[in-house]
Parts: sequence; structure tokens; C-alpha cells
Amino acid sequence: MSITRTSSQRGKGWGLKAKLTVAMLLVGVVPLVVGLGMAFWQGSREIREVSGESFKALATEAARKLDLLIAEEIAQTARIAGDPTIIRELEQRRDAPRDGISKSPAAAPTDLEQRWTAGEPAAVNAIMGSPLSALLDEHYAGIHSAPGQLLPQVVRASTKMLFLTDVQGLLVAAMGEKPDFRHDRAPWWQGAFNKAVGRLYIEDIRFNQQVNAYVFTISVPVMDSLRYEVVGVLHRVIDAKEFFAPSTHVIRFGKTGHVMLIDSNGIVVSCPLLPTGVSLSDRNLLPLVTPQQPGWAEAPSDGHGGQAASVIGFAPLPQTSHTTSGSIENASWHTFVWQSSDELFAPIQHLFIWVTVFGSIALALLAGLGFAAAGRIVTPVRELQQAAQSIARGELRTPIQIRTGDELEDLADEFNRMNQQLKAAFAGLTDEVKLKTREVQVLQQSTDYILDAVPTPILLIDADGVVRYINRAARESFTIRDEPPAPLSSILSLDADAQHRLRQEFHADRNRADSQAGANRIESPRDPLVPTAESRSSVSRSDLHIGTRVYHYQWFRMPARPGQADSIGLVLRDTTDESRLQDQLVQAEKTDSLSVLTAGIGHELNNPLFGIVGLGEAIQEEPSLERVKAYARDIVAHGRRMATIIRDFTGVASREVSNQRISVSLEDELDRALATIQTAMEMAGITVTKCYAGNVQVLALPDQLRQALMNVITNAVQAMRGSGTLTLSTAQSDHTGTATITDSGPGISKQHLPKIFDPFFTTKGQGEGSGLGLTVARRIIRKFGGDVRIESLEGRGTTCTVTLPILATAAERGPWTPSVSRSEPEPSPLS
Amino acid sequence: MDSIRVAFRAGTIALVIAGTWGIASLLLAKTAPGADGIPPEKVADYVHAVLEADRTIYTTHIVNRMQEKGIVSAAESWEQENALPLPAQFLQHSGRLVAERGNGIRYRLIGQWPIYQRNAPATDFERKALDTLRRQPERPVTGIVASGKKQYFQAIYPDRAVSAACVTCHNSHPLSPKQDFKLNDVIGAIAITIPLE
Repeated sequence: MSITRTSSQRGKGWGLKAKLTVAMLLVGVVPLVVGLGMAFWQGSREIREVSGESFKALATEAARKLDLLIAEEIAQTARIAGDPTIIRELEQRRDAPRDGISKSPAAAPTDLEQRWTAGEPAAVNAIMGSPLSALLDEHYAGIHSAPGQLLPQVVRASTKMLFLTDVQGLLVAAMGEKPDFRHDRAPWWQGAFNKAVGRLYIEDIRFNQQVNAYVFTISVPVMDSLRYEVVGVLHRVIDAKEFFAPSTHVIRFGKTGHVMLIDSNGIVVSCPLLPTGVSLSDRNLLPLVTPQQPGWAEAPSDGHGGQAASVIGFAPLPQTSHTTSGSIENASWHTFVWQSSDELFAPIQHLFIWVTVFGSIALALLAGLGFAAAGRIVTPVRELQQAAQSIARGELRTPIQIRTGDELEDLADEFNRMNQQLKAAFAGLTDEVKLKTREVQVLQQSTDYILDAVPTPILLIDADGVVRYINRAARESFTIRDEPPAPLSSILSLDADAQHRLRQEFHADRNRADSQAGANRIESPRDPLVPTAESRSSVSRSDLHIGTRVYHYQWFRMPARPGQADSIGLVLRDTTDESRLQDQLVQAEKTDSLSVLTAGIGHELNNPLFGIVGLGEAIQEEPSLERVKAYARDIVAHGRRMATIIRDFTGVASREVSNQRISVSLEDELDRALATIQTAMEMAGITVTKCYAGNVQVLALPDQLRQALMNVITNAVQAMRGSGTLTLSTAQSDHTGTATITDSGPGISKQHLPKIFDPFFTTKGQGEGSGLGLTVARRIIRKFGGDVRIESLEGRGTTCTVTLPILATAAERGPWTPSVSRSEPEPSPLS
Repeated sequence: MDSIRVAFRAGTIALVIAGTWGIASLLLAKTAPGADGIPPEKVADYVHAVLEADRTIYTTHIVNRMQEKGIVSAAESWEQENALPLPAQFLQHSGRLVAERGNGIRYRLIGQWPIYQRNAPATDFERKALDTLRRQPERPVTGIVASGKKQYFQAIYPDRAVSAACVTCHNSHPLSPKQDFKLNDVIGAIAITIPLE
């Protein structure tokens, strides 16, 4: 038992321990994964935001720093432009033409320009060696600067050209590289000159051929001493990379984080990674990073050729942008702070990895601890299970010992208590069983005594056709050759035909009972000694000739114990004497009927005979031939009538005598019986009403059936004493045909009603009846499997109902009653 | 905001053009009818009157009103902040526009305690004029000055702190060298320069 249970548990799936462990793991895993995911998401977001804000701040700070740097540079240049010597010199040059020093104002510069362009040393020397050029050198070297305002080395190195033009854009003085001579058409010159009003002008980054570098320029107008109008322009060409690199390249964070400076066209001014002058790789970034306010943005690319999403901080250089190209929209400068997203999100990725690692360790711990915990929980449960199995087998002797101090311990205590109570209950149950067993034994003994006391032989046969029990009456009646169990044939000494019939009936009944037992013939088991309902018994009532005795036998079904086949009982009743008596009764009735019949025939034949005799006598004395012929016709008519009567009687008498029941029309037999009676009895005052259902075919011997019907109708006619209404009707139901004979006579009193079927009981006067009519009628009808019922109301008339099996169902009637049990024994031949 | 800015600019330009056109007509009238014409003192007075009127209208009816209603405020970095120019900036920018027209007449703001050095007095005349105006702010200081061989008439009018905004800005600006101005103080001056041909 225990083996099958454990195997079925394994078959079902996981055990309690595995489930508990998995549940604990899930409890740990789900929050861990969810928490990890949320932490990663939130962390990424916060890092992005924090980085963005930091980048924005850094960009703003860098922008301010660069702005200041440029402002400082502008201030330095403006300081040179404010030099009184330069102003005075330029004022003089402005006023010069008016003084007439140069005869042709345009000629001298043109001449000088040609020589300068040609690179003539005298011309070059005239400008590069002029006092103003020397002054520029001095300023550049910081001689005229206030203490602490020296140009830084970087600035000095990055300044590639510094030169001065007059109001016509012509070169006046220069320092460093050799500039062009005429500048009045250069955008920077026009921008700074600004219609003699003057304006600071910063030229956006572009490539300068002479310097061979990307440069930006600062042009400062030189105002006259009144600051009224422009007298010249001081122009400074600065190498952007050299100038900004010390400021931007030092701002590095992490491996990739840096600050760069771009203009609003996307040209890189300064970047530690990209060369100056190239465009940002992604033009789509520009609108994102070049608004006029500082900020940060998430960009789809990094501007350095990478396509990874980036966080970019940016800020404009407000002052510089304001003066760049004179218009904010055309070109403004912006700082751009960027860090590779791989690096940016490295901390959160590290965090993720570490949390995953620790989470895995935690899960491993959880699994181990969970397994241990599940073991601790499951072990007492297993003990309880084994204890429960022991209790189920009734083998638990020692109490369960579980000391966990929790519900399981309580449960174990409950088990112990239950076990004790069960033990007590079992003890009571055992006594009960002993008592019941004794009762059953007594019942069995009493049944045996009863069966032995019954004078009728009874045999019990099992499904295999083996006789299991024979009562004492059977032992005494038959010469028992073998003690049971033995085959039926070996118990009863029967001829071959009878054996064959019995075997057939045995199988047929068993099979039919099996198939129909539940349909419409369920009846409770009953005492086989009580005469069966007559409607059935007639058909099944069969006779066996054993030795010199005749036995009427009957099958009955014995319900078996559950799981076993029903057994079949055979009751044998000695009907030797009874059938002899019945034969005598029938014979007497026949004799009686014959005398009535004879009287009837006599009466019937007598009337025409007297007519014939009378007519014969009349013919003898009748001279008229006409009348003689008329008498002769009457005689012939009487003769024919007699012939008809005789033919009718002959029809009754010449019926072949046979035991074979055939299909007979109930209505025809009623009509014939009535016709016969009409010939014998006075029925002039009796109205006959027929109400037939149609052709109701019943299974019977026609002669005997007509005899029975005649007896009933005769009684009815006699009861009416010459006047009244006789009603004949037929009906058909599923299994039976019914003939109803109703008279309007005085009826039968209640005290006579139970006796009317008794032999020789009669209410008629001496000589009128034998008292056997109804007795015979009932015997005949019952023999056919039917029944006769009399209902009478005193003063109102009597109704006799004859019920007969009809053709269709007659064959199906079993000779013995099926039992309630539906068990199906294996069919086996009756040996 | 942009529409306000555009309207403001258009208004400024219109005002300045109207003013300078008037001045130019006067100058032309001076040269055309005869030698006596209109003396430069008068021209400078006319110009100063127009300037002050324009700036007062701008200050009271535009800046103060917009700020009171919370629609837009005035700020020094007005281009970046989408704000209105300060009244002083209004005058400086209009002066630039006037100068760029090339009629010769120019004006600018100067002061002894300028926020930006470019607005410091350029010449001794201007420096002395500021000193004088500090003591006698009732009348302008006028005179003839020269740049090289060019001669100019200069009239320097005292400029007072006409609204609280002026005082607040000059007292709080980090570059301002003097931060204890009071309303109606002479903060600086308007220097009007007319070339004498």
C-alpha cells in the first residue's frame, strides 16, 4: 500500500520540498529582478539628468571662461587701439590729403601698394620698420602694458598677425607675418569701420592661407581723440587652435569627457579630439546644441562620429557671439560638453553587474537556506504521513514524536488523539461485527430449517448450472445420485427431452433476465412457495415427469452477493394429484356441457322436425298440387335450416383436438360462443350489444377458449332471466387482449362474490347448473396465461373480464420472474 | 515677444529718423539761408530735447508699463533674454544708428563713473564738463574741440537718474565704480558732437 502511494506521489509531480524551495526562490527572485530593473532604469535616468545638469554647468562655466578670455583679448587689442600715438598718427593720415602733402591722394598708396605686393625691401621696410610698427611690437611685447597686464605667452604665440590700417583700409603698420596692403573690401574691415562709426568685429573661424591655419580675427576700430569717428582699424589674426587649446583641452573628465568650442555652423573651433576647422559629423545635432540659452540634451549621436545616444551639455558665449560677424543668427560660438555614453553609463552598468553578482549569491543562499528550511518543514510532515499510513493499516503502536513547537506539533498531537479514538472505535466495531455475524448465522440456519421444512423440493443452481443446494423435501422426493455441488442433470434423473428443455430455459431465462431485468419487469425477490401471479404462472407453469410423479416446476432468481453471479432457484411442486383432479373436473364439465348441448340440439332440431312432420301430414291430405308444392318448399326450407344447425354443431364438434396453442381472434370466438348459446337458450328478450376493438389475436386453444367464453356468457344470460342487455366488448393493450361480458342482471351479493370460482358453488336451482362453469372457465383461461375477473354491484349487473396474452407478447413471457439484481454471470452450458 | 521687439525697433528707428531728419533740415537751413543761420548751441538744444523726450516716452510708456504689467522687463543682455533694452542702451543704440547715417551729428553717453570704460570721458574737455555739471547741473557745457585738423562743436548735457531703474542698475552692476546713486542724481551726461566744417 505504502509503495503504491509513494509511487503515485512521484508520478504527480514535485514534492512538497521542491515546491517550498521553488516558492522561496520565486519570492526572492521576483522582487530582486523587479527591483534591479527599476533601479537600473531609475539610475540610468538620474545619471542622465545629473550628468546633463553637470554638463550644462560645465558648458556654461567653460563658455564664461572662454568669453572672458576673448574679452581679455579684445581689451588688450582695444588698449593698443587707444594708444594716443597711434591715434595721432592716424588722425594725421586722415587729415593728410587735405593738407596737400601728397599731390595725388590715391597715387602714393597705389605706388606703395605695388611695391609692397612685389615684396620690395624698401617698401616692406617702410611699413614694417615704421615707428607705428615698432609701437605695435612694443605693445605686443608688453612694454606699454600696465604691470600685471602682460600678454600671456600663449596669446602672444597664437597671434599670427597684428596690423593697422587707415581710414581707407590701407596698411599703415604691421607686425609678424606679411599682410595684404589693401583691406577696404574685406568684410572684417568694413565691419569694424562701420561707416566711420566703428564697431568691434570678430570674424568667425576660417582657413587663412598666409598663416596656414584656422584663424579667427579681432578687428578693433581706432577712434580719433574725441571718439567721434574712426581713423583706422587694428586687426589681429589669431590661430584658433593655439589660442583656445590651453583653455579647452585642459578640461577633461574621465577618459572621453571634454569641452569643445563650435560655431553655430557646426565648425569645430577647438576640441581635444577633433581637429580645428572640421564640421561636426552629425549636422542634425546643431539645432539641439546651439540655442541661445545654456542647457543639455539627449542626442542620438555624439558629434564625434559615434552613433551612440549621448548626453550633451552646451552653452553659448554671449559676448563673443554678440560680436561675431555682427549678428547672432549668422554665427555664434558655443561650448559643447560631451562624454562617451559608454563611459557615462559605466557606473550604472558596474552597479548592475555587481547587483547581479550579489543577487546571484543571494539567490544561491536563498536556494540553500530554502532547501534546508523546506527540509525542516517537510520532515515532520513526512513523519505525519507515515504515521497516517500506519493508522490506516491499524499498525500505529507508539505515539508520534514531533517536537517542533508549532502547528505541526499540534497536528501530531491531534493524530495521536485520533489514533486512540480510532482504536477505541475499532474495539467497539469488532464486537458489533461479531454480533452481526452471529445474527447472520442464525438467519442462515433458520433459512435452512425453513427450506427443509417446506414439503416442496427446492434446488439452487449457480450461474454455471451447478446445483449448490438441495432441501430435504428434494432429497426425500428424488433419488439423489450425487451430493451437491453437482450438475443438475446428475441430481435429477430426467429423460433427454426434459433435460434439453430445462437447459434451454435456464439459459434463455438467464440471458433475458440479464437484458430485461432493469426494463419493466423488476420485481422484488419473493418467496418461491407463494403461488405466482396467475397471469404469468400459466405460461411458465410447466410439468416435469420424474419417476411416476408429475412435478410443476418454476424458476426463480436469487439475488447474489455483490460481485457474484445471481443464482437460480428451481421449485418443483408435486402436481400429480392436482392434475388428476383437474382432469376429472374438466371431464365432468364436458359431460355436463354435453348434456346441455344435446338438449339444445334436440330443441333446435325438434322445431323444424315438427314442422316437417306437420307439413308431411298436410301433404298427405292435401289434394291441391299447388299447396303440396308450397308445403314441399317449406319442408325443404326446414330441412335446410336443420342442415345449417347440424353444420354449426359439427363445426364445434369436429374441431381437431390439439394441445398446440394458436392465434385466435377473440371477437370470432365470442361470436361463436354467443351463437352456440343462442341455439340453446331463450334469448328473445335479451339485447346483445357488441363493442369490439377490432381483430384482437390471442394465443389459445380455440375449442377450450370458446368453452370458457360460453360458460361465462351462459352465466350472464341465465342471470338476466330472459330480459336485459348483454354487452360484449374487446380491447387490446401492449401485452394483453381483454374480453368484457357485461349483463344487466341482479348482480352477485358480496358474500357470494369470493366463492364464485369455487367448484360446485352455484346460486342456481337444482338441475339448472353444475357449479363448475366459472371454475372451468378460469382454469382454461389461466392455462393460457390469462385471467378471469368478476366485478358485480348488487342490483346493477355483473361484469366479467377475461384477460389473455396476445400473440406478440405471449412468446416473450418468461416462466420465472427476474430478480432485481443486474449482475451478469458468464454464460456457460448446462452440463 | 518678438512682435513687441519688432514694434519697439521700428518705433525707435522711426523716432530717430524723425529726429535726425529734423536736425538735418535745421543744419541745411543753417547753411542754406545765410552765414548767420542757427547757432550750434540751439541745434544741440533741439537735438537734446528730442533725445530726452524719446527716452522719457520709452522709459515711462514702454519699459515701466510693460514691467508693471509683467509682460516683459528690461535687461542689459536684452538680446539673449528676450527683454527690452535699458533706457540707457536705447539712447546708445539710437546714437549708433544716427552715427551710421553719416550726417555728422553724433551723441553718446559719458560719465565719471561709467560701467564700461568706453563710456568714460575721452578728452579733457569732457572730463572738465562732467566736473562742472556735477556742480552746476542746470546748464549744459559747450565748446569747440579739435581732432587733428577737424573742429567740432560739443554740448554736454547733464543726465539725471530719471527712474528707479537707472539708480538700481548703476548701484547694483558689478562693474559700476560708484554704487550710491539716488533718484534724480546726475549720473552722467549726454555729449552731442556737431562737426564744424
